[in-house]
Amino acid sequence: MAEEKNILQEITSQEYEHGFVTDVEQEFIPKGLNEDIIRLISAKKEEPQWLLDFRLDAFRKWQKMKMPQWAHLDIPEIDFQDIIYFAAPKKDRPDHIDPELEATFEKLGIPLHERETLAGVAVDAVFDSVSVKTTFRKTLAEKGIIFCPFSEAVRDYPDLVRKYLASVVPVGDNFYAALNSAVFSDGSFCYIPKGVRCPMELSSYFRINASGTGQFERTLIVADEGSYVSYLEGCTAPMRDENQLHAAVVEIVVEKNADVKYSTVQNWYPGDAQGRGGIFNFVTKRGICKGEGSHLSWTQVETGSAITWKYPSTILKGDNSSSEFYSVAVTNNMQQADTGTKMIHIGRNTRSRIISKGISAGHSQNSYRGLVRIEPKASNSRNYSQCDSLLIGDKCGAHTFPHIVNANSSSVVEHEATTSKISEEQLFYCNQRGIGPEDAVGLIVNGYAQEVLAKLPMEFAVEARKLLQVSLEGSVG
Amino acid sequence: MNCINIKSGESFRTLLVSSAYDFPEHSGFSADGFEVSSGHEQAMHISLESNASADILALMMPGSDTKMDLRIELAGPGAACRLFGLYLCPDAEQASINVELVHKTHHCSSHQLFKGIVSGTSRAGFYGKIIVEPDAQVTEAYQENHSLLLSDAAKADTQPQLEIYADDVKCSHGATVGKLNEDEQFYMRARGIPENEAKVLQMVSFISSVMDIMPEGEAKEKLSCYVEQSVRNSF
Repeated sequence: MAEEKNILQEITSQEYEHGFVTDVEQEFIPKGLNEDIIRLISAKKEEPQWLLDFRLDAFRKWQKMKMPQWAHLDIPEIDFQDIIYFAAPKKDRPDHIDPELEATFEKLGIPLHERETLAGVAVDAVFDSVSVKTTFRKTLAEKGIIFCPFSEAVRDYPDLVRKYLASVVPVGDNFYAALNSAVFSDGSFCYIPKGVRCPMELSSYFRINASGTGQFERTLIVADEGSYVSYLEGCTAPMRDENQLHAAVVEIVVEKNADVKYSTVQNWYPGDAQGRGGIFNFVTKRGICKGEGSHLSWTQVETGSAITWKYPSTILKGDNSSSEFYSVAVTNNMQQADTGTKMIHIGRNTRSRIISKGISAGHSQNSYRGLVRIEPKASNSRNYSQCDSLLIGDKCGAHTFPHIVNANSSSVVEHEATTSKISEEQLFYCNQRGIGPEDAVGLIVNGYAQEVLAKLPMEFAVEARKLLQVSLEGSVG
Repeated sequence: MNCINIKSGESFRTLLVSSAYDFPEHSGFSADGFEVSSGHEQAMHISLESNASADILALMMPGSDTKMDLRIELAGPGAACRLFGLYLCPDAEQASINVELVHKTHHCSSHQLFKGIVSGTSRAGFYGKIIVEPDAQVTEAYQENHSLLLSDAAKADTQPQLEIYADDVKCSHGATVGKLNEDEQFYMRARGIPENEAKVLQMVSFISSVMDIMPEGEAKEKLSCYVEQSVRNSF
C-alpha cells in the first residue's frame, strides 16, 4: 500500500519523462531507400554476401507490396524516401562506451555497469541503429548462452543465424516485415542451448534518439530443447513534432519442451495532446512452438506510440504445446492502437489463452484484433479468450474484432468480450475516502489490469504500474 | 433488399425460415403474431424509431445453402431489438450470416443470439457487427454466437465485432465453437438412453434457447417440435 502511495505521489503531474534528446556525435547515411542504401547499410555493418542478398530480396518484395489498410487506424501518408535508415553514435574509442550514452541509459533507469545492474537482468542496449552495450555476456557464456547484438551474431554464429532467420516471419510476410528485412539495423540475438535454464532475465532496451530516422531492429530468440528463458523488452524515444517509424521484427523459436516468456513494456513517445508527433509502432512479432510440449508466453503493456499496429502471435505446431497472450493496451489523447494476437493451432492437444485489457481515454481509439484458428488435425485443442475494454470519457472508442475458425470437431474455442466504463459508484467510493479523481482512476485501472500485470517480471511490474498512471494523466475531470 | 421502417411505439415480429417445404405453416400454423417469410436468401434493412421494438427469429434449416444479410438501425430513443437465429447444417450446406446492428441514438437495447450445429462437410460463417455511435449513450448491446462442430471436415468461422464510440454502454459478445459434452452422454447412456438419442437430446437442449424469443404457447411448441424433428432426421 505504501508502495502504491509513493507511486501515486511520484507521478502526479508528470508528462512523458523520457522525452529528452542525447547530444552525441552521430553518423548518418543519406535519406531515402533504394538498393544502394541497402548495400551501404550492409557494407557499414560488414555483412556477408548472403545477408546482403537476403536484404535485397526483401527489398524487391517490399517494392511490390502495399501498406495494409485493414486495421482500424487512421495512418497518415508515410514517405519512405524521407527517412534515414541508419544512424549510429560515432565510435571514437571502440572499447569504451561514450559517457554521454552511458548517462542516457542511466537516466532511463538502465545502468550499463554490471555491478550496478538490477540483480539478475542482462541488458542489450540499442541506440538508434546500433547496439551500444550488452552486459553480463561472460556470465551467460559460461552456461553456453549466446546473448549479443544481432550484427555480432551474424559475424560469430552465421550458421545459427542463417538457420533460424526468417524461419518464423518470412521475408514477404507483410509490408512492414519486408521493409524490416531489407533495412534492419541492430537488435538482439539470443540462443539458449539444450537443457539450460537461463539464470537471469535477458533484456533489450531500444532507444530512438536521432531525428528524421526510423528504428528497424530485429530480434531472434532460439530456445533449444528443454531450455528456459525470460526476455524483456523496453523502449523510449524523445519528444518531437515529427512522426518517427519503428518497424521491428521479433522471431522466437521454441523447441521441444522449451519455455520462453517474452514481456514488453512499450513506452514510445505517444505524441502531444493535440496528436502532434509520436512514434508509429508497426511491429511483427511471432513465435513458433516447434517441438512437443513447448511453451511460449507473451505479456505486453502498451502505453506509448501515436499509432500501434502489433499482433504478437504463436504458431502451435508441436503436439501438447501451449501459448498465452496477456496484454494491457492504454490509449489517451489522440493515440490509436490496433493490437491483439493470433493463435494458430496445428499440433494435437494444443492450448492457448488470451487475456486482453484495453483502456481508452481522451480522443483515442483502441482496438483488439485477434485470430484463433484450429486446423483440422489439431484434435483436442483448446482456446479461451477474454477481451475487456474500459472507456474513460465519451470521445474515445473501444473496438473488438476477434475471428474464430474451428475445423476440428474435438476442439473447443471460447471467446468473451465486454465493454464498459468506470462506474460512478467506484469513483464516488474513492472520492469519499479522500482519493482524488485522477488517483482513483489510476487505482481502478491498476486493479482492472492486475491479471496481466501480475504476469510481468517484478522489476517491470512496478514500472508498468507507474506507466498506466502517467498515461492516463489528465483524462478525467 | 427488403426495407422496413418501424414507426414510433410499434412492434414488429418476423420469422424468417429458409425452407418452406415442410414448414408447419401448411397445416394451419399461426406463428403467434410473427409474420412468416421464407426463402434461402434473406436480405433486410430494418430501421426502428423511438420506442419501437423488433423481434426477429431466423431459422436456417438443413438441405440448402442459406444466406442472411441483416442491417438493423436503432434510430429512435428507447428502441429495442431482439434477433435470434438457428442454423442447422448436417451435410454440405453453407450457411452465411451477416448482421450489422447500429445503435444510432441513446437508450436503446439489442440482444442477439445465434446458435447452430455444423456437421458433414458444411461451412457456417457468422459475421456480426455492433456499432455504437458517439451519441448513443446508455446503450445495452449483447451478442452471442455458439456453434457445435460435429465433424472434422466441417468448419465454423465466426467474427463477432464490437465498434464502440460512446462510453456509457454495457456491451458484450461471446462466441464459442465446441463439441458435445461427453460426460453428459455417459450420464445418459449409463441410464439406458441409446447413444444416438442422447446426442439428439443434447442438441435439442443446446438450441432450445433460440426458441425463447417466442411467447409461451401453442405456436412455440409447434415450432420447437418442428425443429426437434429436423434435428432428429438430419444428424
